[in-house]
Amino acid sequence: MSSTPMEMDAQLPTATATATATPIAAPPPSNLAKLAESLKLEHQFLRVPFEHYKKTIRYNHRTIEKEVSAVISGVPAAASDISREEAVRQLTSLVSRLQGLKRKLEEGSQTEQLQAQRCRTRLEHLESAEVDNLPKWNSIRLKRILVDYMLRMSYYDTAVKLAESSNIQDLVDIDVFLEAKKVIEALEQKEVAPALAWCADNKSRLKKTKSKFEFQLRLQEFIELVRTENSMQAISYARKYLAPWGATHMKELQRVMATLAFRSNTECSTYKVLFEERQWDYLVDQFKQEFYKLYGMTLEPLLHIYLQAGLCALKTPYCYKNACTNEDPLSQEGFRKLAMPLPFSKQHHSKLVCYISKELMDCDNPPLVLPNGYVYSTRALQEMAKQNNGKISCPRTGLVCEYKDVVKAFIS
Amino acid sequence: MKGKRGQFGKYIRNNVRPQETENISSCSDLFTNHTLLAFLLPLLTQPSTSPKYFQSWKPISLLIAGMELNAIQDKFERVAKKQKVSSSKSHEWMEQVGREIEQALASIIQWDDNDSSISIDQKITELKAKLQTIDSQSNLDRPQRELNIDFAKYQKLLEKILHPDLSKTYRNADFDPHIINQIITQHFYREGLFDVADCLVKEATETEAISLRVQFQEIHQIIDALKSKRNLGPALDWASANREKLKDSGSDIELKLHKLQFVDILQNRNRAEALKYIKTHLAPFASSHMKEIQKLMGSLLWFGKLDKSPYADMADPIHWENLSEELMKTYCNLSGQPFTDPLSVTVAAGVEGLPTLLKLASVMTGKKQDFQAMKQLPVPIELGKSFQFHSVFVCPVSRDQSSEENPPMLLPCGHVLCKQSINKLSKCNTRNFKCPYCPLDASVAQCKQLHF
Repeated sequence: MSSTPMEMDAQLPTATATATATPIAAPPPSNLAKLAESLKLEHQFLRVPFEHYKKTIRYNHRTIEKEVSAVISGVPAAASDISREEAVRQLTSLVSRLQGLKRKLEEGSQTEQLQAQRCRTRLEHLESAEVDNLPKWNSIRLKRILVDYMLRMSYYDTAVKLAESSNIQDLVDIDVFLEAKKVIEALEQKEVAPALAWCADNKSRLKKTKSKFEFQLRLQEFIELVRTENSMQAISYARKYLAPWGATHMKELQRVMATLAFRSNTECSTYKVLFEERQWDYLVDQFKQEFYKLYGMTLEPLLHIYLQAGLCALKTPYCYKNACTNEDPLSQEGFRKLAMPLPFSKQHHSKLVCYISKELMDCDNPPLVLPNGYVYSTRALQEMAKQNNGKISCPRTGLVCEYKDVVKAFIS
Repeated sequence: MKGKRGQFGKYIRNNVRPQETENISSCSDLFTNHTLLAFLLPLLTQPSTSPKYFQSWKPISLLIAGMELNAIQDKFERVAKKQKVSSSKSHEWMEQVGREIEQALASIIQWDDNDSSISIDQKITELKAKLQTIDSQSNLDRPQRELNIDFAKYQKLLEKILHPDLSKTYRNADFDPHIINQIITQHFYREGLFDVADCLVKEATETEAISLRVQFQEIHQIIDALKSKRNLGPALDWASANREKLKDSGSDIELKLHKLQFVDILQNRNRAEALKYIKTHLAPFASSHMKEIQKLMGSLLWFGKLDKSPYADMADPIHWENLSEELMKTYCNLSGQPFTDPLSVTVAAGVEGLPTLLKLASVMTGKKQDFQAMKQLPVPIELGKSFQFHSVFVCPVSRDQSSEENPPMLLPCGHVLCKQSINKLSKCNTRNFKCPYCPLDASVAQCKQLHF
């Protein structure tokens, strides 16, 4: 097709303006429209690799800046009456330092490329969604959601295995979570060093969101010092690391400082709670939240979000009855339990399903009423009558009657 | 628009293959057809004037989605380009510094004790001065700042086009992780991912659902043998072992398996063996399925040229695919398991429901109502047909959903209302009333309760 991109830019802006200004009344959404809507749910999918890419770029840039500046200032000062050998030695070391930097940058640049490529791959994956390949695309989406769940629950091996099973390593964020793994495992061992390093790495971002995570880490370290009854050490620690936070978090600071007066086996509830092991679990949770926020991830696992939405949408009082069909997920015990605290779905229009054929009973296949009030679809009853000489029997009550005895019902 | 439409129509007739307008089934198709898009947009935004060959085009929403993905891609490439510029600038700076130092080093190495024109100190001072100039001229800040601006723009674009926070819809449901892990493990068994399931059970320290695992392993082995090795042995063994149960549930899968085996033998081995097969294995079905057996006997005549015979469709490889699906269905039916994977169904329902829930969440936070304490969603979620498992009757008068206390009632005219609406219309069962739809009179006694 001979194509000339004529006037495209001139036409596009006006077109989009009018498109948004004249909303089209929505008929029941077609598969295509539903697909388009579902793509809009993929913010995390695109945001996380981008954050990672940004981080690498910034890190590489900082590395160059720091190293080259250091080299420049490493040139020996003037008028130092330096000998030739000394000068040669110093300059040679600077040269080799720059060469080391070059090598490091090559690696860094490769990482950058890979991450940029990952961003592109994900965009292409979204593009590739078509009505024809929908089942496969949906099954990959479910896998992505499950890998996200595994990573958040720290089931790393399972996440890797699952990603490998469908070759979707580029579509999931295993490497990003490995960064978190170090911090989490250390915190579980009551080690705050990796967590503090992480805070230092992300200082500016954390400051922007006014995060107090670092403060909480320091508080916990202080409590551990108090627990081992190292009061002097605790106080100097507080002076150095807790005092700077006093301006913004004075109340909390005071509360924790008070623990100095109590012992770790205190019965006083306000302070007893501070000494509990659980505080470390809170730290892990807090870290996870900060981590998710930093990378633009949802604060809840995707699986929870989708499951909850799905359960609400499917939940009707009939799901909890024994006659509920097996195909309804809410007939399964696990799903029923999960859905208990959730609201029921709402319908504005009647939707009737034939007990026999499981088909929808609409104007193409209207509902017919037997003399005992039980209702089945026209198609199902016609089929039954054909096979049984015009007689139909109600599968639920056993009542037998003639096809001509049924009455049509009009449901709007 | 008239003139343009004429031009446009001519362009389409001359240059666009008919299938390009009919078979647009994906966002990428749309946006690669730039020129097509350019001409179509103004027309599509005025639905009343769109020529009839575009009525096969559907919602504008899809067009916009395609264009939006395009916009995101373009923005990203911009960022990547800016990054190249900024990074090459820094590399250049580094190279310059390196070169100067190396030059100075070289000249110092060649310096002769007797060369009094310039001392080492002076060389070094010179070097330092040169480096200072490079540093002050480098101006790395600007590309870095521009890059940061582009970063922010990209993020803003993502947040504009895609929903930035799905967590808004989350009520504190406190899902029990054990239940969820069990659901996931069962899903893996169903999909045949046994080693992933085992890994999960180990990492999450859950108790293994051994019986379920064994069940699904059995069916997966059977289907695997069938699909990848065209070996019907395990399937046939299973079918004959469960013959009674299969008969009770009305399934004829054993016959179907034998038929497929017969066709396989006929195609790959010889007629004698095929005939023998019918005699040994298909004889028990003779009384119930005479017509089928007769067909098979007939196909023997076309041994070697089955694909040119009237029985060509018997040789279609799609039968293998269909039969393995039916096997799975039958197996699940027999063991009381659902055929469709409940986790996939629920997540798919969630995908369809989330857009509505997101709108609800944004409206409700504005009204400060308690999202978390609802008994029923205040808005409907329109799910596709495949999610309709139960009949729901909504009374056209009261818009209430029927329940055990408020069942649907059939009026003599054929219209259906819920019991409470009828009570109200009949002033508590005392009077005759008119059906709201057709003015036929009815009394409460004439109304029959319906069971969907």
